[in-house]
Parts: sequence; C-alpha cells; structure tokens
Amino acid sequence: MNRFSHAFLLPGLLLLAVFGANAQTYSGPRQFDGVHRNEVSGNLALGYNVVSGWFVGQAGTYTRHFTDRWSLSAGEQVQILKWLFSADVMGTYRLPFRHSSLYFDARLVNNVYAQWDQYEIIANASAFWETSHFDLRLGMSFIHYYKYKVKEEYQWFTDAGYTEPPTITFGVGLNMLPRTSSWNLGLFLRNYDQFYYENWNINWGLRFHNIIPHTGMKLFGEFNIRPAGSLSQLATRYETSLKLGLKYAW
Amino acid sequence: MKTKHILLSLLLAAATLSACNTLQEKISPAGILIAGTAVEDRVDMSYNFFLKHYEDNVILSADEGGYSFLVGADSHVTTDPGRMDEMLATGLDENDLFYVHLGDIADTKAQYYITLDSLLQKAKARYVDRNYRKIDVFNYVAITNKDEDPATSTYDEIVFPFFPVVGNHDITRNGWALWSSIFHSSFYEIDVIVMLPDGNFAVDHLIFMDSASGTLGRTQIQLIEQGVMNGRYYADGYRHTFVFSHTNIFRPQFNEFASTFTREETFYLLDKFEEWNVTCVFCGHVHMWDERNYNGVHYLTLEAMSERNNPEPGYYLVRINVNSDGTVLWEPVKMNYTPNK
Repeated sequence: MNRFSHAFLLPGLLLLAVFGANAQTYSGPRQFDGVHRNEVSGNLALGYNVVSGWFVGQAGTYTRHFTDRWSLSAGEQVQILKWLFSADVMGTYRLPFRHSSLYFDARLVNNVYAQWDQYEIIANASAFWETSHFDLRLGMSFIHYYKYKVKEEYQWFTDAGYTEPPTITFGVGLNMLPRTSSWNLGLFLRNYDQFYYENWNINWGLRFHNIIPHTGMKLFGEFNIRPAGSLSQLATRYETSLKLGLKYAW
Repeated sequence: MKTKHILLSLLLAAATLSACNTLQEKISPAGILIAGTAVEDRVDMSYNFFLKHYEDNVILSADEGGYSFLVGADSHVTTDPGRMDEMLATGLDENDLFYVHLGDIADTKAQYYITLDSLLQKAKARYVDRNYRKIDVFNYVAITNKDEDPATSTYDEIVFPFFPVVGNHDITRNGWALWSSIFHSSFYEIDVIVMLPDGNFAVDHLIFMDSASGTLGRTQIQLIEQGVMNGRYYADGYRHTFVFSHTNIFRPQFNEFASTFTREETFYLLDKFEEWNVTCVFCGHVHMWDERNYNGVHYLTLEAMSERNNPEPGYYLVRINVNSDGTVLWEPVKMNYTPNK
C-alpha cells in the first residue's frame, strides 16, 4: 500500500475543476430551464460484472421542481442476474453562483443485494458544482449494511450489521461542448454511480446526451468502467456497463 | 476556444482508446493507476500448480495438545529485513505449527527478494534442525514421528511451513515473477489434521486467496463456486476454517487511502465465509488494526510489521492458539526490532 503516491490526486482533480470554472451558460444537470416542473427519466443497462457475470437492468427517476431552487426526486433500479434492487429519494437546493450552479444534495439510497441476502442503506450529503464544461461533486456517505436473512434459521433482520466509517464522495466531469449545446460528449471519474457509493474504487467512462428536437425529450447514455483496486495501484477489471436512456420534461 | 475544443476532443479520443482496454485485465484511465500481472493470469498459474501438486499437497499434523500459528502482514522488505527475520525467529522459538504472511511481503525489487529468499532458507535450516533427524546422507525423518518405520524426506521435500498470500505491492511492475519464483502459488488450501485426546482426529482448513488486485477476478470466483477451495473433508465437516486475504473487508478508519473490495464482491465474500463456516478471516493491506464480528465470522485486520511504516516496537503480529478442546484464542505478539537509524 502506498498512501502518499495518491495524495496529489484529489487536489489535482480540484485544480482541474477550478481551471474550468470560467463558466459559459448555465443549463443545469437536469436541464432545468425554470419553467417546467416535472422530469422523468429511464434507462436500460447492460453490463458484465466479475462476481455476478452478465446483467441487464433498468432504472427510473422522477423529479419535481417546487421552485427554481428546491426539488425532490425519487428513483428505482432493478438489475436482473445481479439481482440488485434499489430505491432512493433525494432533496436538492440549487444556489446560482455567477455562471455556474452549486447544488446541495441530501440523499437516501436503499439497496438489496438479493443474491447474498444483504441490505444496504446509504445516506449521502454532497455539493455538486456545475459549470459550462466541468462539474465536481464532493461530499460524504454513511453506509450501513446487514444480512437480512440468516440461512440456518431464516430469521429476518438480524443484528449482524456493520456501519462503515464515513466515506468521502468525489467525482469530476468534463464536457466537450458547453452545456447549452443540444448534444454533448464528456468524461467522468468518480467513486459512486447511480445507486452505489464506493470508498476508493473509482469508476470512469464516457457520457453523452442529445436533445431530440420538438419533443421535450433527451437521449442520454454512459459507458462505465468500474475497476477494482483503483487506489492501490491495481486497477483491475471488475465491471463494465453501458446505459442508454430517455429523459422527458414537462 | 477552438484550441480548447481540440484539446478536449483529444482527451476524449484518448479516453475512448483507453476504454477499449476493458477487454483486457488492466485498466488505467490516466496511466497513473498501474496494475501488474492480472489476477486471472496469477490464478491460472496458481491453480495449475495446485492441481499438479494436489496429491502431495501439504497436510500439517498437530498433536493432542492443540497447536498455534503466527500471522503477520505488510512487511515491505527492502534492504533491512529485520522485522521479517524477527517474525520467523518468533515462530520458530515458540514452536508455532505454521506461519502466515498476509501479503506485501517485499517491495518489488530483485535485490529485496534475494534478501527475503535468503532469510527463508536460513529459517528453513533452523526448522529442519529442530524438527528433523538426519538418518543418512540425503534423508531426514521427523523427530515427532514415532512410527517404527517412519517416512523419510529429502531436505528439498521438507516443507517449511511459511504460507503467504500475495499483496498489491507484490505484483506491481514485474513483482509476480519474483514472488511466484519463491512461493509458486497465490491461491491454495491446506488441511491441518489434529489428533484429539480421545484418539479421534479433527481437521482444520486453511484457505489462501489471491486478493492482491482488489478483486478475486472471474476465474478465482468460478473456481471457488466449483468447490475447488472446499477442501478434501468439506463433506465431513471441518472443525475450523481460517481464511487469509491481503485485501481487507472492513475499513478501520475513514481516512485510509486504500481500496477495499467493491460492493458486490464484499457481499459475495461475507456470504461465502458464512457458507464455509469460517472461524476467522485474516486481512492486511490497510496497515491498521481492526477486529470485528459479522454474522458469526471473526475478522482481524493486522497492522503493518514494516520497519518503514512502524519503526517503533509494537504488537504487529498475532498468534492464534487452537486448543485441544477446539477453542480458538488469539493474542497480540510484540515485535522488538527497531531499524538502524
């Protein structure tokens, strides 16, 4: 283990984000334009995981904007063959900052890893800074899990739980074009995904979106590489997945 | 602005090319996250070695009084092998039945492995002197073997009971070539036959996993699912099973910059350890002590015994006493060696 060789990574990522802070025009991660009140999005996923093999899944999210500052969203995910079932709720406050926006998210995620009878609950609080070309998320996760079924006795909700020490949440994104553009292609690097938060296992990949004219819909996708052991100088293949989805606002 | 777009496009193109590497084992988004030999290759090699030597695989024997074994982690041997030497001496002096090292045994340099090999050879010579009697030019017989016609072994056939798992520092650059030239296999299991006071015997099981890459990898998981690590006596039931892994399951503190297993693999392993009815799982990697229980399985994560990380004397080793009545107790073991200043 080498603790010091990675000490420059996070400051480096921060510098990268600051470098890109000369923002262009705000359009928002959810493409919120201050007019519409509802958003719904859904995506299909196909992937390969070292432990569970091939899997397919779907996920959906509904967001309600109460004002141009406050919003609440709820989501779900089902991954077949990995047998992962997820649900989350998230409240967000948006703070405009020059040409960028700072979001404060409070989120609760529930995961059931049914193959191994494990239930995981995650509370996450994070700040998401979005500029024209770059975005950065920093926060903290609190993760608790336990085995909900003891095989011998089939007794539900045992006390054999474990609460992880607080886990830092971090992620950066880089877009090729300004966010106002009708299509975009970008890179991301982060230690979380839609429904999980890791500690030092970083996933990264490519993302794109394309607004479908006159429909209020946006096509989006992600190619996600999730290595194991990223911050132990190992970075060995663990999971690769492809997501493709549609978002509709009204 | 145009230059910025060109630079960003180049970055994206580089990322796309890099992403194509996902079909291979090693993934490095920026060239800073470097893997050594991939886990699939290591497990393939180790499993072939395991199969080839299955019939003459090591079986340890313990007498009615029970036995003990010594565990250490993260020695990171460089030019000063003092702590590694002390671990071997402690195990020999206290008559531990075997010694386990939880990975990151030496930093990746041929010179350090030559030093390590020399230490192990010296320790083996001492072990043979203490436990074997030379009966002719080539052959030895175990002193404890009281049979009228005891089995003989040549010096090379005598197994020095030092069993390591491989760690992430052992596989960086070409470390696997150095590590495997001494230890051969990173994925194996051993039985310990224990004579009981009533004349019967019990069998304990040792499982050594290759978790140096932060994942067991697909091949190792498939082999485990095929029952390869279940052992010869799985159907009869092992009394105790002990598992040894470099990568830790539980994080001792939040400010540790070391990867543990990913979500699914953590849950898979917790479930597997329960299925194996594991008594205790031993881990290293984070250089920090942690002890906990999860669903009836005990987990110990050991401090680093490395002189560089912990130059002051301290309790960096653990001795596990498996008593004749089957109870298992562990005790911390102090290391006194301090590096030359």
